[in-house]
Amino acid sequence: MSAPSTPAPARVLAATGGGLWRIVLALLLPAVLVTVWWFASADSTDPQVPPLATVLDKFPTVWFAGDDLGSSLFVETVGQSVSRVLIGYAIAMVIGIVLGVLIGTFRPLRDFCEPVLEFFRAIPPPILTPILMLFMGIDHALKISLIVVGALWPILLNTIEGVRGIDPVLKDTARAYGLGPVRRLFSLTLPGASPQIYTGGRQALSIALIMMVIGEMFAAFDGIGSAIAQFQATFSTASMWSAVLILGCIGSVLALIFGAVERVGLTWYRGYLRSQRGGA
Amino acid sequence: MRHAKSIAVAAAAAALTFTLTACGSEAPVLEPSASPSPEAAGAEGELTPITVGVLPIIDVAPLYLGVEEGVFEAHGLEVEIVKAESGPAIVPAVASGEYEFGFSNVTSLLLAQAGGEELQIVAPGNYTTEDPAADFGNTVVPAGSAIAGAADLAGKKVAVNAPKSLLQATIMSEVEKAGGDPESVTFVPMPFGDMPAALAGGDVDAAMVMEPFLTLSKEQGATPLDISFASNQAELLVAGYFATDEYAAENPEVVEAFIAALTESFELASDEATAREALGLYTTLEPAVRDAITLPVWKAELDDTSVELQAELAQKFNFSEGAELDAAGLLP
Repeated sequence: MSAPSTPAPARVLAATGGGLWRIVLALLLPAVLVTVWWFASADSTDPQVPPLATVLDKFPTVWFAGDDLGSSLFVETVGQSVSRVLIGYAIAMVIGIVLGVLIGTFRPLRDFCEPVLEFFRAIPPPILTPILMLFMGIDHALKISLIVVGALWPILLNTIEGVRGIDPVLKDTARAYGLGPVRRLFSLTLPGASPQIYTGGRQALSIALIMMVIGEMFAAFDGIGSAIAQFQATFSTASMWSAVLILGCIGSVLALIFGAVERVGLTWYRGYLRSQRGGA
Repeated sequence: MRHAKSIAVAAAAAALTFTLTACGSEAPVLEPSASPSPEAAGAEGELTPITVGVLPIIDVAPLYLGVEEGVFEAHGLEVEIVKAESGPAIVPAVASGEYEFGFSNVTSLLLAQAGGEELQIVAPGNYTTEDPAADFGNTVVPAGSAIAGAADLAGKKVAVNAPKSLLQATIMSEVEKAGGDPESVTFVPMPFGDMPAALAGGDVDAAMVMEPFLTLSKEQGATPLDISFASNQAELLVAGYFATDEYAAENPEVVEAFIAALTESFELASDEATAREALGLYTTLEPAVRDAITLPVWKAELDDTSVELQAELAQKFNFSEGAELDAAGLLP
């Protein structure tokens, strides 16, 4: 377009300026919300709705209390919870994509599995907690498998759809060119399904966080879900709000990381969409 | 969910209240606020409606018994007992005026007060027995466990029904007395009903259980360590009936009538057979279990020392994020 004719420094300025503007725009609503919260709660005497200042005060006094950062409540609980989410999410990704590719590729397998998939998908994962506890105990195995069970479905179902939706002409072409199954998998099936896989992955990320909290609130002795349950039981409402804030921040950071990975992984796809639009 | 349910309960309670008011009086006066008029109580035969939030546990048998026997009505009170889902859920409901009275363990009330709620215990709820080995709760280990006493609990996982509760304080205190590090014990909160499976599966090394689960777990072969609430003090006040300071100040006659009715109910419940019978009013316990369990002690005097001891323990083990726990502020 006009980009090539613009002098290089101006382009850089436009790019960084645009980037800055986007960052400002992205931070504007949170800033407004925090401000509103701050002033709306400032004079609150209701113990259930403490002033935001009291909530924020819990960060130095509760989360980062003590001299040793490594043994602070924050590092302990957040480290525990985030590692559970990442492990559970990674397992769900692997299982979801492998099964999804298999089921999406082979029609008979799909017909064979579909009714069962629908059955399991309809079960809300949180209610599996007491059942899973009987097999898994109450520690990491239970908490991670709850995340896997919750996060698996969007990944699996989206992968199946993505693999199924690949243009049959492309499949035939690949076959006609004599591409082997491994080559077909890595240069056609996975890339072709990847936009859908990313969509499933994004949905699964928020479900994984929800399942993490639910799992940790049950037989709660570590992690951020347990911290929330304990604060509730001891009427430490301000600390409970601060834990909710931390949880929201974890979610935001994970979503940001996911977005960055997705942007890199799907660069070709956006280019493809542009060329499709341009070519039409 | 819980909120929606409590609203439904409150709506039902309100509807019931209005019906009763409308039926009981010739010229019904519908009061917009929930605060009852104590003057109307007794004299004209009109009852003051009150709602009491409880857990359907053995501890509250006298309340059910008194209501059943008409003791509260005789004192001018129309009591509605609401079963709450969890102990901590009762405090906000009382604080917001949804219930006039609530039943809660003292440690929770101390923490709630430190969290900013203005509450007071108006009447004792229940006391432990005198003997730690024969209390209505106990700490149990699976058959064949190497744990023989409090000292062995250091570094172990112990199931309790609520975090930072009197259960946890009791175990930490006993471990400390036995020379162990109380901070080394990991407490795993779970419902009493889940504890037998967790013990059998090795997920926890010990569990502190209350009746009727104590009797049930003993039947399943669990060994009691004789670490119980009574280890802290013989006849320790465990729980109490409470109201907000505001309600108690504005409705002294209602509070007085409530205390008087409870006192009479405690006397009724001091007959063991009657108390056991009363459990059938609100639990589904098998008669055999009902007769086998250890009952708490019910008496009308409020023991200040128990409240002070619970404050001291909770403070010592830092249940309150360093906030001062004020036993005197909780007493009437």
